[in-house]
Amino acid sequence: MDVSTAVFAVSCPGTPITGARALQKEQQLNQFLAEVERRALRIAEIGVRDRDEAMDLVQDAMIKLVRNYSERGREEWAPLFYRILQNGVRDWHRRQAVRNRVMVWFGRKSSDDNDYDAIAAAPDPSGRAPDEELQNSEAMQRLEAAVYELPARQREAFMLRAFEGLNVAGTAVAMGCSEGSVKTHYSRAVHSLRATLEDHRPEDYGPGGFNR
Amino acid sequence: MNERDDTFDKKLKATFDASVEELDAATLSRLNRSRHMALAELQRPRHQWSRWMPATGVAAAAVVAVMVLQSPTAVNDLPATAIVTDMEILLGEDSIEMLEDLEFYSWIDSAEMEGDVG
Repeated sequence: MDVSTAVFAVSCPGTPITGARALQKEQQLNQFLAEVERRALRIAEIGVRDRDEAMDLVQDAMIKLVRNYSERGREEWAPLFYRILQNGVRDWHRRQAVRNRVMVWFGRKSSDDNDYDAIAAAPDPSGRAPDEELQNSEAMQRLEAAVYELPARQREAFMLRAFEGLNVAGTAVAMGCSEGSVKTHYSRAVHSLRATLEDHRPEDYGPGGFNR
Repeated sequence: MNERDDTFDKKLKATFDASVEELDAATLSRLNRSRHMALAELQRPRHQWSRWMPATGVAAAAVVAVMVLQSPTAVNDLPATAIVTDMEILLGEDSIEMLEDLEFYSWIDSAEMEGDVG
């Protein structure tokens, strides 16, 4: 393909980008997605408490980012990706609520959040000593449960800031709110988590403990 | 945020990071596949008719939406905004999966009724 064709292909809406620029864009997106995918999966999993559902949400967010925002700057991808993912988590909860109402109408019991099996959903061991693995797994289960109990906006702010490491501005973009709101939600989340998790003994949380 | 909060925050992040590192190989493989599926979008035209929901699916979702929203028992006490939200979701493409579930439950009901008679 000559240069003029490549330029036309890139600038024409509805046509896939081609050539060296396309390859570079693909490499950048691949690198970005590879960097965020594992944390994104765990964040989504905490949000919906189901790994398979979380996997679907992450895949959907990846596809939407590539489809709609691949032409944006690299620095914009993280807030956009997490905005898509958080919207997906919110829609998932809305669909669950409607599904439960429909199931009730059809005479079926609604699904119950309490059937979440934290032990079954815990990650597989990866070479750590059994005692250490058990401590970390228990700590994460308690942390997940505590984060899940937070109000939705506090949960989002906390996970995006603390777990993903987005700054306040990026978190505000991802959540679709002001930076002031992010600070408020985040601060309240941390204090709620401290109140919840510090009720447990320090030795419950591995070598360091949450409250040391 | 004070120093105490900051330390606490780092502890939580370390616990979370450990759980990320412990993701199993099967999960990592699924993430890898998802990533490559997403990257394949770069090669596709932006607008495809194949992405449109089949007309029969829309019709089925609309029928269920009307049935549920006209129910005297299930949703009459819901605020108007909730009903609009329900309609949006029932008419969305993800409702197809829900309809498949309903078909399955309907089949179970009929099977159970036959079992009671027999």
